[in-house]
Amino acid sequence: MNKIFKLTVVLFLICAIVSAVLGAVNEVTKGPIEIRQREKTEKAYKAVLPYADAFTEVDPSRFSTYKATIDKISTADNGAGHVVETTFSGAQGSITMAVGVDSDGKCSGISIIKHSETSGLGEVAASSSERGVSFRKSFIGKDESITIGDIDAITGATITSKAVTGAVATAIEAVKALG
Amino acid sequence: MNIKKQFKEGLITNNPVLVQQIGMCATMAITTSLFNGLGMGLSVLIILTCCNVVVSMIRKIIPEEIRLAIFVVVIAGFVTIVDLLLQAFIPALSSALGVFIPLIVVNCIIIGRAEAFCQKNTVGASFFDGIFQGLGYTCVLLVMSIVREFLGKGTFGGGLIDVANGFHFTLDGSGAGIKIFSGEYGATILTMPFGGFLTLGVLIAVMQYALKKSAKKKELAAKAAEEEKEVEE
Amino acid sequence: MLFNIISISLGAILINNFIFSQFLGCCPFLGCSNKTDTAFGMGVAVIFVMGMASAICWLIDTYILVPLGLAFLETLAFILIIAALVQLVEMFLKKSVPALYSALGIYLPLITTNCAVLGVVLLNVQNHYNFIESVVYGITGGIGFLLAIVLFASVRERVQFAEYPECFEGFPICLVSAALVALAFMGFSGMQIF
Repeated sequence: MNKIFKLTVVLFLICAIVSAVLGAVNEVTKGPIEIRQREKTEKAYKAVLPYADAFTEVDPSRFSTYKATIDKISTADNGAGHVVETTFSGAQGSITMAVGVDSDGKCSGISIIKHSETSGLGEVAASSSERGVSFRKSFIGKDESITIGDIDAITGATITSKAVTGAVATAIEAVKALG
Repeated sequence: MNIKKQFKEGLITNNPVLVQQIGMCATMAITTSLFNGLGMGLSVLIILTCCNVVVSMIRKIIPEEIRLAIFVVVIAGFVTIVDLLLQAFIPALSSALGVFIPLIVVNCIIIGRAEAFCQKNTVGASFFDGIFQGLGYTCVLLVMSIVREFLGKGTFGGGLIDVANGFHFTLDGSGAGIKIFSGEYGATILTMPFGGFLTLGVLIAVMQYALKKSAKKKELAAKAAEEEKEVEE
Repeated sequence: MLFNIISISLGAILINNFIFSQFLGCCPFLGCSNKTDTAFGMGVAVIFVMGMASAICWLIDTYILVPLGLAFLETLAFILIIAALVQLVEMFLKKSVPALYSALGIYLPLITTNCAVLGVVLLNVQNHYNFIESVVYGITGGIGFLLAIVLFASVRERVQFAEYPECFEGFPICLVSAALVALAFMGFSGMQIF
């Protein structure tokens, strides 16, 4: 019994030391991680809605009954339009995307924040390659009636292209439904 | 202790991936671009070295029965530290490697070295063991990523190097890499899971071939020397 | 809700199979696939532990770590929970279901270092799954692992009789066959569910 007690104490002590060290590291990194995340969101938002300055989040109750795929809608304070954050299923898993919708209800740009699409196929949609940029640019100026025929779809990644198109249409509809 | 021998062991004769054949999940999963490969390799190198040093430091005071539990706690601690630091300072790498950073905890290389080497050796030897084993791992990751990226996408140094505005390194993973041939002609399948298994399989086969050949050469040389001796006699 | 669960299950078993598309659990996958019987035993043990680990880790994460602001301890806590769980399961089986214990016994300790188990728990947190979704993802992920390892073991039993270059002996030929099975699994990747 004495032995088990001793082992427990040793293990507990080591766990406590490791946790304390981690706590200290966490204190140091907490700030930068938060700043990075805010910067990242802001950058993504400004990229899809170029003329916006600062954003205010729309109360979720105004769109939560509309479509389950919409995570967040933010309004640009200077009236440039809205940014919709939406999560939907692609070919391999869920895709999280920011869609800019300008004051005329047209798409002003899209940016894929998170995805797990097939490397080399669906992944191109989110990549910084020429092909990816031209795919994302082809959404600019389209409204909610957009179909896959209207965009520069990626060969070999029809499912990803279709899913993104559908999500852009839904996002624009959701913004229009806000009134 | 013999640093030179340890160096050779870590990189070639006892390479963690190619010879010991451990730690393969991440090797196959993330080696799709040079940026990922290098980032993962260096993360493992740092964690392995730190864990080796700590484990060999405490090797005399920890009770035998719960040593594995203690190793796991120490490893998980270092992994979390690296994970947090990456999230804070190199977020692109953190999001590219995703769940594979915390999964370094169960990477057999680290617990394997703790159990097989650091338990019996001094702090200094364990430190070098960590560095060389880590380097061996990093080299394999680099070779895998270079091959898969080149054949699959036609680029070199994706994420790490950008040539759009003159040659420079990008630490945020945004560089498109040096384009060698157009991505349309690449064997895209090599960047998919299939390519991971295949590339590693071929790499180990090449390694086995080389090791066998050098063993044969040594044998032949020994034989020749013997014969010479006989002739002299 | 039901659609959601079906979509998670199919995703975990076929489309995003743990081994062939996410590379989680490769070590036991390559190490324990010499014979179909052992592969099956390993697979069943993994399903069991993955389901249990998903449930317990979800509860601990949601009701202890997150409320206390200790989310940074997740990795440490999860690996300890998994290790303890594997020990408990082993002791429990030894005492009350000896038949099952003798079938699974030798695989249980190996599971602690199976990255599919820690992987599924971390993915549950990352994907913000609720309790039921987490458990379903854990169990179906294990089923996917079982499917992969049993299929692959049958392939390997045949590969033994094949002729291949000498330097591919052992691991390399095994990896190349795994690559071909992975290729077959890619056929599921286009599947769209709901």
